[in-house]
Amino acid sequence: MAADGIRTPNPVGVRVILITSGVVACALAWGALGLGLSDLVPTSGGLSLAGRFFARAFSPAWQSEARFVPDGTPPLLEVAFEATLQTLILGAAAMSLALVLGLALGFAASSAWWSGAGPESRRGVYGMLRRSFLPFLCGASRLLIVVMRSVHELLWAVLFLAAVGLNDLAAVFALAIPYGGVLAKIFSELVDEAPRESARSLRGLGASGLQTYWFALIPRALPDMVAYGFYRFECILRSSAVLGFFGFPTLGLYIRQSFNATNYGEVWTFLYALLILVVAADAWSGAVRKRVLA
Amino acid sequence: MVEAAGFQLEDVWVRFGAVSALERVSLEIAPGSAIGFVGPSGAGKTTLLEALNGSRPATTGTVRVGGRALRDFGRRELRETRSHIGFIHQGLDLVPNLRVSQNVIAGRLGQMGFARSLGSLLFPSREVLREVYAILERVGIPEKLFEQTDRLSGGQQQRVALARALFQKPTALLADEPVSSVDPARARDMIDLLTRVSREEGLTLCMSLHNLELARTYLPRLVGLRAGRIVFDRESTAIDDGAFESLYALRAPTDDVPHPIDRDEPIASSQPRGPGEVRLDGG
Repeated sequence: MAADGIRTPNPVGVRVILITSGVVACALAWGALGLGLSDLVPTSGGLSLAGRFFARAFSPAWQSEARFVPDGTPPLLEVAFEATLQTLILGAAAMSLALVLGLALGFAASSAWWSGAGPESRRGVYGMLRRSFLPFLCGASRLLIVVMRSVHELLWAVLFLAAVGLNDLAAVFALAIPYGGVLAKIFSELVDEAPRESARSLRGLGASGLQTYWFALIPRALPDMVAYGFYRFECILRSSAVLGFFGFPTLGLYIRQSFNATNYGEVWTFLYALLILVVAADAWSGAVRKRVLA
Repeated sequence: MVEAAGFQLEDVWVRFGAVSALERVSLEIAPGSAIGFVGPSGAGKTTLLEALNGSRPATTGTVRVGGRALRDFGRRELRETRSHIGFIHQGLDLVPNLRVSQNVIAGRLGQMGFARSLGSLLFPSREVLREVYAILERVGIPEKLFEQTDRLSGGQQQRVALARALFQKPTALLADEPVSSVDPARARDMIDLLTRVSREEGLTLCMSLHNLELARTYLPRLVGLRAGRIVFDRESTAIDDGAFESLYALRAPTDDVPHPIDRDEPIASSQPRGPGEVRLDGG
């Protein structure tokens, strides 16, 4: 306490403690793994492999590099185009399902549309139902969302492969479940954090919770939701490509095959195809956002 | 035209925990009359307006709308009643990234089910759009029909808020500091519009205002509030500058007695106070 009665704040505040403990935790993690810079020095074999691989970055293959090409095999560029298309199709199908899941679960997990309701909604049987059922629905949805997104899409893919084998629907679900969970979490948070004045004023003129949610809260959160949705679409295209490693006919399948056959030029062809796909998706999202949300 | 709604408050208290926002407020607001609430920030003007449409229920006391106590209203009835009471807020409270037409149509949400409101907002019929256009014409911004609402100026948005209230086919208009965000010339314009439209439609108008000059010019009856209590309730022509000055004084006229009505206050009317006294005939 200073003499003039003004209390000087403690220099070791909560923030300092948080940051220090974060830094210490990171240092401990590195120590626990026994990481050192010496691990980064590659073996001579590894070095030459990396050299051969990266050397082909500037000369991707234009046609098949396989020594034996069976009759009827389509040209490499056609394979790359087909695989890119499959990657896009799987990504789009999974994203559409994820969006439906995200919007529905996001609505169920959001509290903004019922927690701010007026006093009249607390009365009677209806009020009792509301007070018990809606918080329960909200909590249950949040739990479901956690389960969906805490399992990675590759693990979902393993599970579905084991359960139903290699089919397209399994791939769609493997992507849609974790992506739907993440979208639901972010959507419900965006809506719950959006300014509430417009919702309150619609309530004031007699609008129901459902109406307030869709006509006041969602529109306010929509620009952020659309931006985040597009970002996740980009992510799902990459995930869709990687699912090929399990045998789905997306870019990952061909990347793995070519890599195993040490046809590095082909690997780069497929990697560039993925790059073009992601850049195109990004350009598209930019154009749409500019037009719709400006 | 819908019949105008009258309001009665009998010994209304609104408490937030230990704090009283309104204390023993009794008022009668005749159908079709216009009344202004004045007083310093925190005097309870907003709470009083919110008590009138039931969005802020009285802790004790009775609020009647159209002769019936709000507390007796069922959920549906309350929704129905509210759907015909326009409320224009201090902070606009429109949905900023919807079109003007959609914000106006939202005025009727309380009168529609979910499916109908979805259709009406996304694909409004020609008939509805014509109605919206006519109302926008009335408030002076018909050309903004399909504009995105947040691209409008503060004054224009205030007009959209009025249009939304009018689209409700209201029986009463409640306005909470409707001109706090616009310049003096536009403020006068807006108050002029608000009072003119309510008079033409025969609506009950209750408005809180900081601008005393506007309040006195446009509203025939003024209620002064301070610390949640009614300090005066008179025809505006009968209120002198002294009354306003003590209403807005930073300290209560005498600090030991917090409630001016309990005493023979210069700013309070010398007549006995009661529900009968606050009635204003004509208006």
